[in-house]
Amino acid sequence: MSLTVTLVGVNHRTAPLDVRERFAHGAHEVPGALRRVLEAGASGGVLLSTCNRTEFYLSGASDATTDAVWALLDGRLGDGRPARGYGYLRRDRDAVRQVYRVAAGLDSMILGESQIQGQVRDAWELSRGLAGPVLHRLFQSALLVGARVRSETALGRGAASAPAAAVALAGKIFGDLQGREALILGAGDMAELAAACLVDAGVRVTLVANRTPERARAVADRLGGGAAAQSLDDAWEHFAVADIVIASTAAPHAVVTWARIAPAVARRGGRPLCVLDLAVPRDVEPAVGQLENVFLYDLDDLQAVAGQASAERRAEIPRAEQIVDEEVEHFWAWHDTLAVVPVLKEFRGRMEAVRTAELERVFKQLQHLSPEDRDRLERFSESLLNKFLHEPTLALKREAEAGDGYLLVEALRKLFHLEHGE
Amino acid sequence: MPYHFHLIALALYGAATALALAPFAGRPAVPRGLLLAVPSAGAAFHVAGLVQMAPAGLAFGVSLLAFFIVVLQLVSERLLRVSAVALFTAPLAAGLVGLALLLGLAPAGESAGRNVWLVLHVALSVLGLALLALAFIAAALYLVQFRELKAKRFGQVFQVFPPLERLDLLNRSALVVGFPALTLGVLLAVGYAVRFTGGFRVDPAQVVWGLFTWAVLGAAVWLRVGRRWTGRRAAVLSIAGFGAVLLVYLALKITTPGTERFL
Repeated sequence: MSLTVTLVGVNHRTAPLDVRERFAHGAHEVPGALRRVLEAGASGGVLLSTCNRTEFYLSGASDATTDAVWALLDGRLGDGRPARGYGYLRRDRDAVRQVYRVAAGLDSMILGESQIQGQVRDAWELSRGLAGPVLHRLFQSALLVGARVRSETALGRGAASAPAAAVALAGKIFGDLQGREALILGAGDMAELAAACLVDAGVRVTLVANRTPERARAVADRLGGGAAAQSLDDAWEHFAVADIVIASTAAPHAVVTWARIAPAVARRGGRPLCVLDLAVPRDVEPAVGQLENVFLYDLDDLQAVAGQASAERRAEIPRAEQIVDEEVEHFWAWHDTLAVVPVLKEFRGRMEAVRTAELERVFKQLQHLSPEDRDRLERFSESLLNKFLHEPTLALKREAEAGDGYLLVEALRKLFHLEHGE
Repeated sequence: MPYHFHLIALALYGAATALALAPFAGRPAVPRGLLLAVPSAGAAFHVAGLVQMAPAGLAFGVSLLAFFIVVLQLVSERLLRVSAVALFTAPLAAGLVGLALLLGLAPAGESAGRNVWLVLHVALSVLGLALLALAFIAAALYLVQFRELKAKRFGQVFQVFPPLERLDLLNRSALVVGFPALTLGVLLAVGYAVRFTGGFRVDPAQVVWGLFTWAVLGAAVWLRVGRRWTGRRAAVLSIAGFGAVLLVYLALKITTPGTERFL
């Protein structure tokens, strides 16, 4: 059995979005795709497919297996272009390093983002029946590496994306966001994404307002929490009660004006209001930010917060890479011991067979022995064999962990005419 | 011995100040456990020094005020996670302990006695003052963070200072707890005077300052709770109140010599 670890994949650095979209596998497609690849010859496989990457991790793969992966991806691309041109191939330590970097968020589009950790776990669980022992161990350790990097470095700290920055800004005003009420103006993707982040942080969306109430209704349903849907013109009164307002309409001019919302804001009793204007061109008149206790932020502000967090995260890359390198060596030390396991197993089996045969011969010559004496003799032979094998077994494992097991395995194989490794 | 314990407390409060300032000096943020452990150790030595002192006199009052400020910082941090409060409390406590050391710490043996009424009066009055100081600190942090958020500056203040509403809650809580503490302290002073000294034979300056502080705290609580003042307006109110208390103290100190015992 070959124990190599191979990675065939594409990611956001090597392929544009329209190509990555075609390579992406839904959860229901993963087992079928893996089986097809493994049929070409491999002992295990895990498919990690997210919007930013499609990566096949294979153990014991041959060139035919990697060709099968490229063929599968060629088929999904479907326009005659070779998928190989968008991808990469990594082997052994480099493949291990890649999955560790992915789990740690070092290879993510938003450096250090934590969502990838869950995606790695999902990929492992989806592929569990087909992963095999090497990849099972690899993905288990990858999750631990991801957790270690996040706890020992500041790689995951701060809000490094615009929606996360929106949550961070609201958090700096209100502290705990649990139970806060949000009003969404517009039904665009950006508003929905930011609102979803706020909902994750415990905010309750109470109203979605849009020019077309049907679209508002659809967004409200997707966000959950029983949010109402209204037309935009009915929304201004809600500025008196909402804690957070997300504005992202497609209007060509400012729709949230000082004149429209000042009366409602005056009834807030000094409570702060966080207004997040995510529209381009902007939805909120800058004068709104001059209202007492109103905190107005636009996309540039969110990018500034996210950019700052990104810079802080980038400073943590060397420490994170160092952890990854350490863990790659740990994994590889374990991996090296795998090569000696079958040889050791066969060696012990051979010795056990000799012991049993010799014992049978002795018992035939010593017919007068009582059952108790036979039992004692059997235990003595077992103990003697174990003591003889103990030190050589440990030495072989030690050498294997240090990467020097090959010579001893070869010596063992030749001395005792073992089959493995030939 | 009170001197040595105070010296150790002073060193630890100094260290707490350095830890609180670390993020502003370009150093990585200090773990929360350390931010709690160092002033806690300082407070432990501090209380060991306090119990060996006579519970009277300006040095004792200043030292007790520093101790309460540190304890209130630790309680605030535990309940509300407002680490940045230490930016003010730690140097303030260090300064007050240093001042107490300069004034001279009187050991317990030189005390006229440890009358429970007097001890409680001093403790509650100083606790009221410490809470007024904490309300001031929360208000100052609020105004700085408010300004940064309004001006869209996302630097160290934005990162390190607590959220606005948490600071507002800390300010309100400090005032609401501080007022009954000071009221009880004032009532105990009246009771002590009537019962043990046969009348109100106390320094007029002391009475003026005590009642003024009580009135300021009472007015602040009335506006915050009764009139529901919140946010920036409430923060300005707290700062103005604390400033007025401090100004009256200084004015009395300058204009009424011979009142060194308490003022």
